[in-house]
Amino acid sequence: MQQQLTNLSDKELISRARKQHDREAEGVLMDRYSHLLVAVTLPHLSQQSNLDPNVVFPSLLQRLSASLKTQTIYKVNEWILHIQKGYLSKPEKNTPFYPSRDGRDLLHIENTVDKAATNIIDRQDLIVRLEQALQRLNADDRALITQFYLENKPFADLSATTGISREKLRTQLKAAKGKLAKLFMNGYVK
Amino acid sequence: MLSSKPNNDKVLKIFSTIRCLSRDQLPRYLEGRLTDVEKHLVEQHLTDCDLCFDALQALEKEESTERYQDLTNKLQRYVHSSIQPVSHTQKIAQYTRKERNKEHMLAYFWIVAFIGLGIGSVYVMRGHIRNQPPPMHVMASVPARDSAAATAATGNPPVVTPVNHTTAPAPAPEASHTAPATPPAKPILAAAAKPVDSAALKKAAALKAAQHKAAADSIRKAQQANLLKQKQDSIRKAAADKANKDDKAKDDDTKTPAKPDNKPAQVAKEQKAPEPAKKESAAASPINSDEYLYKAAMVYQQQGNLGEAIDRYRRLESVSSGKYVELARYQLAICYRSKGQMGKARRMFREVIRMDGSMKDAAKQALDSM
Repeated sequence: MQQQLTNLSDKELISRARKQHDREAEGVLMDRYSHLLVAVTLPHLSQQSNLDPNVVFPSLLQRLSASLKTQTIYKVNEWILHIQKGYLSKPEKNTPFYPSRDGRDLLHIENTVDKAATNIIDRQDLIVRLEQALQRLNADDRALITQFYLENKPFADLSATTGISREKLRTQLKAAKGKLAKLFMNGYVK
Repeated sequence: MLSSKPNNDKVLKIFSTIRCLSRDQLPRYLEGRLTDVEKHLVEQHLTDCDLCFDALQALEKEESTERYQDLTNKLQRYVHSSIQPVSHTQKIAQYTRKERNKEHMLAYFWIVAFIGLGIGSVYVMRGHIRNQPPPMHVMASVPARDSAAATAATGNPPVVTPVNHTTAPAPAPEASHTAPATPPAKPILAAAAKPVDSAALKKAAALKAAQHKAAADSIRKAQQANLLKQKQDSIRKAAADKANKDDKAKDDDTKTPAKPDNKPAQVAKEQKAPEPAKKESAAASPINSDEYLYKAAMVYQQQGNLGEAIDRYRRLESVSSGKYVELARYQLAICYRSKGQMGKARRMFREVIRMDGSMKDAAKQALDSM
């Protein structure tokens, strides 16, 4: 059972945990993200000595499990980070998680790309539209995206050539991607 | 459409989803122990995923990954331990629920089976009882009850009397002594009335006490009533004969006055002497044979030999007279009814009713219920 569940995607695990009250699916999902949760929480644990990992993690898991049943979750990683940040900043308050508008746009495009993977006609159409959207992006962003995605250049190379730190490079890339998504969704009419 | 083919495909990479970094990918990326392709994929994911990037940054700040590994192990163990008992107890609960359901179904099955068996056995028993030949006392009790009811209703007890043979000869000499006395019945009735009343009451009590004997009693009573009637008839006849004889004797006297007393006296005595004997035999033999026939027919009827019983009853009906004809007809009707010949049975019952005897009510009842 455990073996079968580990092969399922996040989405399926969530739906199992919700519809069938499957504690095992929930456990598998938590297990999948437990190391990231630990890594993200480590600096807080080292900074604040009053935090006990034996208390923090179980209560975090409880909160995640409670919100899993009620909230709309598009991306598990975003949701976990939101809950974790909310718990560590305001332990007494339960801050609900709302996916952003940009996030939903991105998600939509990602889903269409996923679907087009098996359909050649859709795929060709999608490629044409993406290229056109890319052409309309400003030169800096287009250059960055082209170098990173199309030429497979790692962060280290990019930061070395441009002289920007990795974090900044990442935020720039993210912003460029968001712009591209917006152009793809709204700027181009078929 | 100017761009080359491989570039074309790579455009899709911008928006393709990549899974979060796995548990060992994270330290390996930090240490730079990843292939170019894998590294590129991780970086591609890192641009999108805040969680993974934050985790990476946090791990970079830590001097060693020991704590990370340790805490991750603990957390995963905690998750496993919190899942397993739950799922295990869930499985046990499901199993026990299934077993309980099975038991319930079994219990219901047995209850239904027993109810069905009970109903079936009751049905079979009823069928068996219906097909059995009706027992003797059921048939016999009908006339008994009927005769008792008749006696109670009409209120003429004198007929039903335990008239002994002592009472019968008593009036006979009287009659012989008072030759021309035509009404000898009156004194008999008057004499019989008193003991009869009390006797009838006794009889009624006995009837109530012992219903099984009632049939035989009623038959005996009927016989006795017949006997009494016949005796009375014979006495009357005798009286009439004597009167005739006396007249004759007077004529003879007038003709031959030489022997005035001897002959008539002798004749009277001669006639008187054989008469009671004759009377007895004449009265007793048909009744006895009727009773015998009736009882034999009853035995056949009881044994279920209805044809033979019907024959006997027919013979009895044609041979005998009075009470036994009615009884025989009634039993004939019952025989026909149990044989299934309803038309004949109805006719017989109607005849019994027409005879207007003690069996009338029973016959009416039987006819109504047919």
